Amino acid sequence: MKPPQKRQATLAKSKLKSNTVFRMNILFFSIFLLFSILILRLGYLQIVKGEDFARAIARTEEVPVNTSVPRGRIFDSEGRVQVDNQPVNAITYTAMQTTKRTEMLEVAKELAKLIEKETNKVTLRDKQDYYIMLHTEAATEKVTDEERAAIESEDITKKEKQQKLDALIREKITEKELESITEEQLEVLAIFREMTSGYAMSPQIIKNKDVTAEEFARVSERLTDPKLKGVNTITDWKRTKTSDLVILGSTTTPEQGIPANKLNYYLARDYSRNDRVGTSFLEQQYEEVLQGQKSVVKNITDGRGRVIDTIPVDEGQPGKDLVLSIDTELQSSLGNIVEEHLRELKAGPNSQLVRDAYLVMMDPKTGEVLSMVGKQIGRDEDGKTVVNDYSFGAITAAYPTGSVVKGATLLTGYEQNAIELNQVMIDEPLQLAGGDVKRSLFNQSLNNRVPLSDTQALEVSSNVYMFKIALAISGNTYQHKWGFSVKAEDYNTVRNSFAQFGLGVPTGVDLPNEGSGLKGRFIAGEPGIFLNLVIGQYDTYTPMQLAQYISTIANDGYRMEPHIVKEIRKASTDGKTLGSVETVIEPKILNRINNTQAEIDQVKKGMRMVYTGNRGSARSYFGDADYTAAGKTGTAEISYYDDSESPFYNKPSINTAHVGFAPYDDPQIAYAVLIPYITTNTKAVPGTTHKIARAAVDKYFELKAKPSEESPTVIKAPYNEEKEATE
Amino acid sequence: MQTNKSFADRIDWSLAFILFLFFVVSLIAISSAQTAGQYGANFVPKQAVFYIVSIAMIGVLMYFDPDQYKKTAYYLYGFGILMLILLMIAPAGQGQIGQPINGAKAWFHLPFFNLQPAEFMKTFYILALAKMAAAHHEKNLVKTLKTDGYLLGKIGVLLLIPLAFIMQQPDLGTALVFIAITLALIVVSGISWKIIVPSFGGVAALGVLLLWMTLNMQEFLTSKLGLQPYAFARIYTWLDPYSYADNEAYNLIAAMNAIGSGEVFGKGYQGRQVYVPENHTDFIFTVISEDFGFIGSSTVIILFFMLIYHLTKITLQLKDTFSTYVCAGIIAMITFHVFQNIGMTIQLLPITGIPLPLISYGGSSLIGNMLALGIVFSMKFHHKNYMFGNHKEDE
Repeated sequence: MKPPQKRQATLAKSKLKSNTVFRMNILFFSIFLLFSILILRLGYLQIVKGEDFARAIARTEEVPVNTSVPRGRIFDSEGRVQVDNQPVNAITYTAMQTTKRTEMLEVAKELAKLIEKETNKVTLRDKQDYYIMLHTEAATEKVTDEERAAIESEDITKKEKQQKLDALIREKITEKELESITEEQLEVLAIFREMTSGYAMSPQIIKNKDVTAEEFARVSERLTDPKLKGVNTITDWKRTKTSDLVILGSTTTPEQGIPANKLNYYLARDYSRNDRVGTSFLEQQYEEVLQGQKSVVKNITDGRGRVIDTIPVDEGQPGKDLVLSIDTELQSSLGNIVEEHLRELKAGPNSQLVRDAYLVMMDPKTGEVLSMVGKQIGRDEDGKTVVNDYSFGAITAAYPTGSVVKGATLLTGYEQNAIELNQVMIDEPLQLAGGDVKRSLFNQSLNNRVPLSDTQALEVSSNVYMFKIALAISGNTYQHKWGFSVKAEDYNTVRNSFAQFGLGVPTGVDLPNEGSGLKGRFIAGEPGIFLNLVIGQYDTYTPMQLAQYISTIANDGYRMEPHIVKEIRKASTDGKTLGSVETVIEPKILNRINNTQAEIDQVKKGMRMVYTGNRGSARSYFGDADYTAAGKTGTAEISYYDDSESPFYNKPSINTAHVGFAPYDDPQIAYAVLIPYITTNTKAVPGTTHKIARAAVDKYFELKAKPSEESPTVIKAPYNEEKEATE
Repeated sequence: MQTNKSFADRIDWSLAFILFLFFVVSLIAISSAQTAGQYGANFVPKQAVFYIVSIAMIGVLMYFDPDQYKKTAYYLYGFGILMLILLMIAPAGQGQIGQPINGAKAWFHLPFFNLQPAEFMKTFYILALAKMAAAHHEKNLVKTLKTDGYLLGKIGVLLLIPLAFIMQQPDLGTALVFIAITLALIVVSGISWKIIVPSFGGVAALGVLLLWMTLNMQEFLTSKLGLQPYAFARIYTWLDPYSYADNEAYNLIAAMNAIGSGEVFGKGYQGRQVYVPENHTDFIFTVISEDFGFIGSSTVIILFFMLIYHLTKITLQLKDTFSTYVCAGIIAMITFHVFQNIGMTIQLLPITGIPLPLISYGGSSLIGNMLALGIVFSMKFHHKNYMFGNHKEDE
């Protein structure tokens, strides 16, 4: 018989044992569940989703490669080449994801024997890294154990420690040691650094400048040599402009690649980092069109991820060509007209502030920009005066443009029921409360009352007629020395109406970074400013806006979107004629102004009187023209604020502008000319702006009369003035 | 008292046969994995050598009986801790004995192979834990919540010492193995459900809460709890690898592409298309799955399950508590390794670097696991000794 304690122990033990068995079963059951989850999940991945994964693998093996398809070219409206691609021989290197640096170095050594490579791009850092690569042991020994331990003990990540260590090693490499790198090694290094600056699977240009025929042949012969694995010889393209027209824009070079601030944008669109991209104007605006489609290859990889073969899947396509609406002959002739007048102006008196002049000519019915001239006076290295192309100023430079906007003011007046057709109002100097007098240029003396109809108001450029419209819009009637008030909504009324013509809003031209001018502040206590607004002396407008404004009137109230590109065509197949048309840029109506045809016709009539009427402000310039045209002049008195260093800072100056269209009955062209700061003497304003307008319209009809020699679809050499002149 | 069975009869041939199958699977998988030749060495003969060495080791282990393991358990535990301390203070420079691999200082660099003390420490820990729990039950015949709580405290102390050393290497995967072993032993050692259910439930709830906070309350975690943002990356890459183009996400996507595209029947031996890094060690399961498809991969899982089943059967046959606990610990260790390793390749669990037992290439891992299995062999071998001596059990 067992003692009780022993019996109790045995009891406890057997209880424990049976409990353990129970719990082992629970454990085992849990394990069974875990393993079941594994098998279920495997079944899901391999059986249910298996095909998806198999497809995903096939897909990831297809990669677009930078095969350097040529970028689209740009032609003028007559088929003259404006931006071209010149073929250049290039030697490239493509690293695979698995290529090791040591392998690249071997290839670089081999390649250095075959080609000459400039070493001036090699940096000190390159040399130091290269020295470490060549003399790894000697370099690591430069750091003492204490220094190493000191870095190890710092509280930073492993990566930072390694960086610190590397920096220390580089520091300790002496000038003399770096000099031990021979000329030949330096050449290898120059090649090696180009190789490593690229990304896996993206061909990196090793040399594309001055590749001699011998070098090209030497490398081409040995392309299959495993020692030159990854090296290729290709025909690369160099972008060349055959015109100095700035709005054509520019691209980056492959060395520059994608601009850093747009990196993600382009990478998301399958660009490589070393792709050329348009960075300004047309090249930027039409980047998607000009950039070709890269060829796509399927990489066949072995088990280690090494590419053993590539099969082309898609050949890729060259970029599409742009055909401009600009005829370079007209553009060049008008450019010369503007330049000559600008030089003449600058040579004359009171021309200290004269700097630039603009001329925009467009087809009012389609919005095609026929010419976009901007000229700016500058100085070359020798200090001589030169005139530079400043064509983009036509969409960015904005100034108060004076009375040219009066057509819009009249139409706003009709729309707001401030005046009626043929309404006669008295032009008289307005004497406002506080002694301020607002008057028309032609009617200066107080108490001289001249009755004017709406068309006459345009003819003589009456300010007072416009002021009275403004007063009516703001709910006022003129009373002698009577104070009046204007609300912010009144400004909005006028501005919204002007916006229908494109004044003060983007015109929608197909160029990036278009300016829309400045809107002056609303100042409640100065109602006189509102009067300035309606005669174009407050808000600022760009030449392109003026052109769109006058086009809208010429085109019976339909505002067209201006565009410089007329057609997008496929790349030429034979090199002689343009490729087939891909897209024709259709005329796009942005809006129609809120006026009746009769009202528009009335304004046109008034503008015709500006050119032909007895008192017409442009009669002396256009009175004798053998074509019918209509237009409006503008003079804005302003203060010069552009340069606070100038002696003319805050002194009065004059902007002059001119808008018009021709022929009167069936307008083919609408044009706007603008010269800011034309004089510092507000009493003697030169008529250069109007002379330019007249000469430009003359030129247009002259060229139009000339029979065109060849179809515009035949590719021609760029327009050459001298050559054309001698013919 | 001697057994009446012959020497050969006392060897667990079923277990030996299962191990033989693992040996075959391991060599096939490794030889397929290294077709890439990326390591410049042939691992197959090396792995074969490790297997032979470990079989010899099992022979030696079987010479000792469980009693001797029980007696030396604490010394082995102490020895393991000593190794971890030595590793921690070993010089870590380039080419020195304690040089970190992939950022973890977990290996001694020895002339012939790299030794990972933590792999052996697992077994020593199991022995010590089993001895402690068995001794506790002998002393406290009447179980109360108080004695159970006391036992839980002692288990905690035993766990924390190695855990601290391993976490600082850092080696999260191995640390989790220690926790898994501990959880299994807490269940098996008979601690009251009244303690287990709330505490396990609490830990699980805390885990879920942390996971949820990682996704929705990062601000709080970084500013109030001082967690580093990069710690979240592991969770994100696990839940949505396609949106995170870092290394771990790349590994996971590659692993899933490899496994998924294996489909039902696989692409055949060495027929792989997807390059998965480290596919001869931690990602060896991707090789099996891609080459042999669902059939091959589920066969391997079933093989593991058979091993676990066999070990469980042995556990239930063994009479003394110490041996039972040791076996339970070993089962937990192997299970966790398998579940974590396979789970991370199929997006069930986040990626942590631990090998697939008995199949992944690696001396430390293989010998570490064989050490544990050797002790099982020994227990089975000496088990019959107690056939007629129930009362001797407690001596």
